[in-house]
Amino acid sequence: MDRKIWLSVAAAAIGASLLVAAATAAPTKIQAKKGHAAKGGTFVVEMDSDVDYTDPALDYLSTGWELMYAAACKLYNFPDKEAPAGSHLEPEVAVGLPVISNRGKTYTIKLKSTYKFSDGSKVSASNFVAAMNRLANPKLQSPATPFMDVIAGAQAVVDGKATKISGVNAINATTLQIKLTKPAPDLISRLTMPFFQAIPKSLSGNHDPNGVLTYSSCGPYYFAARTPNKSITLKKNKFYTGGRSANVDTIQVNIGNSLEVALQNVESGASDYAATGVPSTAYATLAAKYGVNKGRLFVKPQLGVQYLAMNHDRPLFKNNPQLKKAVNWAIDRRALLNQSGFLDGTRNDQILPPGLPGAKNVAIYPLEVNARTIAKAKLLAAGHTQDGKAVLWTANRAASLLQAQIYQFNLKQIGLDVSVQAFSRGVQIEKEGTRGAEFDFTTEGWIADYADAYDFINILLSGNTIHESNNNNVAYFNSPKYNKQMTAASNLVGSARQAAYQALDVDITTNDPAWAARSNFNDRIFVSARTRGFTYNPVFSFDYATVFVNK
Amino acid sequence: MFRYLIRRLLWAVVLFVAVTMVTYMIFFVIPANPARLACGQRATEECVRNAEARLGLDRPIPVQYAKFLQRLVIDRSLGQSFTNRQDINKTILDAAPVTASLVIGGAILWMLVALPIGILSALRPRSLLDRAATVFVLFGISLPVVWIGLVLQYVVGYRLAWTPNAGYCDFIDPAEFATCGGPVDWAYHLILPWITFALLFCAIYVRMIRANVMDTLGEDYVRTARAKGAPEPQVMRSHVLRNALLPVVTMLGMDIGIALGGAIFTEAIFGLPGLGRLAVQSLNTFDLPMIQGTVVFATLCIIVFNIVVDVAYAFIDPRIRLD
Repeated sequence: MDRKIWLSVAAAAIGASLLVAAATAAPTKIQAKKGHAAKGGTFVVEMDSDVDYTDPALDYLSTGWELMYAAACKLYNFPDKEAPAGSHLEPEVAVGLPVISNRGKTYTIKLKSTYKFSDGSKVSASNFVAAMNRLANPKLQSPATPFMDVIAGAQAVVDGKATKISGVNAINATTLQIKLTKPAPDLISRLTMPFFQAIPKSLSGNHDPNGVLTYSSCGPYYFAARTPNKSITLKKNKFYTGGRSANVDTIQVNIGNSLEVALQNVESGASDYAATGVPSTAYATLAAKYGVNKGRLFVKPQLGVQYLAMNHDRPLFKNNPQLKKAVNWAIDRRALLNQSGFLDGTRNDQILPPGLPGAKNVAIYPLEVNARTIAKAKLLAAGHTQDGKAVLWTANRAASLLQAQIYQFNLKQIGLDVSVQAFSRGVQIEKEGTRGAEFDFTTEGWIADYADAYDFINILLSGNTIHESNNNNVAYFNSPKYNKQMTAASNLVGSARQAAYQALDVDITTNDPAWAARSNFNDRIFVSARTRGFTYNPVFSFDYATVFVNK
Repeated sequence: MFRYLIRRLLWAVVLFVAVTMVTYMIFFVIPANPARLACGQRATEECVRNAEARLGLDRPIPVQYAKFLQRLVIDRSLGQSFTNRQDINKTILDAAPVTASLVIGGAILWMLVALPIGILSALRPRSLLDRAATVFVLFGISLPVVWIGLVLQYVVGYRLAWTPNAGYCDFIDPAEFATCGGPVDWAYHLILPWITFALLFCAIYVRMIRANVMDTLGEDYVRTARAKGAPEPQVMRSHVLRNALLPVVTMLGMDIGIALGGAIFTEAIFGLPGLGRLAVQSLNTFDLPMIQGTVVFATLCIIVFNIVVDVAYAFIDPRIRLD
């Protein structure tokens, strides 16, 4: 019997020794080295989930566009600058602004001849033509096609009736011509989207609907490798001759670690930047430890808005501006913002986010509730609450549910008994986007596709965009007066355009609010101790090309 | 044996069809539209319509299901992801080795610990070792895997930095520009996931092995063997352990089969790109083909391991006849 016992003990010892052996076989721990910030090195990024694509025609997520910002060269781009300068577009491959003729329907753009792809080939007008033809190709089904609706001949390619867009032509290597079906003053803003970057010859004929994982690009970096759900590697484009920065040699994105691990890794220096954030409960601690905007934790405003949409298809809000104003007076914007974590946003009551060209802060509704504001809200709502019942839709995320309870409490004070229905985010988008859906309120948010007020006011509030399904105007706001003004504003350019949208923002919010805007998004950026500097672009967020690290 | 295998395989087909059909039905009860999500925030009706056609969502549900079966049986393809258009066969095959590394390594670990402790506890009931084992079992069963994982990850991986706190390295053939790779890095990164994954099973198996061995020790045939003067090692090997470990083999096969479908919590905590994490991501993005892919793989694992266990039974215990 004793022999058996010793055999068992030996088996346990073998098990334990295997563990110890594995532990002692560990490679050397990575440690952040102290030193001077200089060009070169590897910048290690943490993402908890993968980007959707790294194909320029398919990628349409903000984390992917951050990387694309470092890799792409476009006709026009937002400069590597902080707000507000970072949201004013500049020519990149283009030489100056386009020559616009034919009553705003023909754009002729001169190109620089100095840009090169990471494979060494030259960038010419034909690379931009190829990019647009590829975007419109029906095999790819690119999400970029809605942004090409004004380009002559694009729809024919989308419909499979042509293979090349008749309205986009390379006159010569350095001259590109784009013909439109109608004037579109925001065209060059649209062209700043990564969809419209130049693509190399090797990619132009590739219409694989699965997209590509890597390709040669003409920005400061290029996608050198990608293993879906595991990692993405960007390397410096050694042929890059544009004016943008390219400081580190490699940007290494590690995918899949939880937010808790991302926090630990950035704190310890094993990684440099938590691109998808750290746990929301950690920001207050980090702020206390490192301060805000003092070296490790940075808070930067984004071009986005969070709001409570009011459904104008429902009797409660149809021709009922008094109640809509009352809702705006009643909601506790501070309490709502507090639920999503420390420094998650900035309270606001307007449609256009600060920093967007045309946005101007005007005090319309209270950002802080008190007895006086509640009294005002009650006064406005009196006699306008119909049967006093309303349905609020929200996402079943923790913060959204807490915010729904605050809305419930706030609206109860003006005589609305709100029942909350929570859905997973995908279900909420689908249901609220279908006309006739039975909700009175829905919680929503919007991040700019490009820095133009059209992307907020026309896309989210124009009655002309309402369909039976897939609506972005989930307030179903359809005012003939404002529809007309929105269309007129969209046809203006320059300061006149900005002034028109500014007036619309203030007018709608003051007199006939479609929503109760509550806050603008902040990007909370936590970086490693060895990260010595970076720029935050208000449109594309974290600017990888400008990062410096200690070597 | 042959007839038995045929019968089991036919049942496996029925089970497989039932599981995949139920997954399909559940998916379509949820009123989310993957085509809408695929078109991004500024989805137009035209884009959604085209995406529905591309994804096959414009056809009646039974037709979609029939197409899925046809593609699976004839082309041996699980299709493409709704969200990133990646080939699902490849994605599953990339994720499966990660989960297999976790599960098989974890199973070896828990058996290495559970076997000696379970047997020793049974041989020395109410001894100090037995009482310590009981406390271990109590902790192992009571503590949630998530809690154990997070504590190990924070204390051992982050504060003490004895092991990596998360991440996975390929055993062979690491990806281009990968920061780690090879058997040493692979094992080093899996130490904490193995412990986390194994602890619960370890506790369960200790309890089960102890009970089985104690029961068997009291059997008449064990007493008879000893009375006939059989040496103790032979009694233990041929009469006690052979009978006592029979249910353990069944449990082990079942547990490994189920876990290969995805050890969701352990993979999520330690950032392992395995099937469990893939399944969670797919659920979050309403990626039906990917969900189906993980379900199909998990179902196959369970079916195969069940059959393996049943066949192994016949070899371990000569009294059992499969026919």
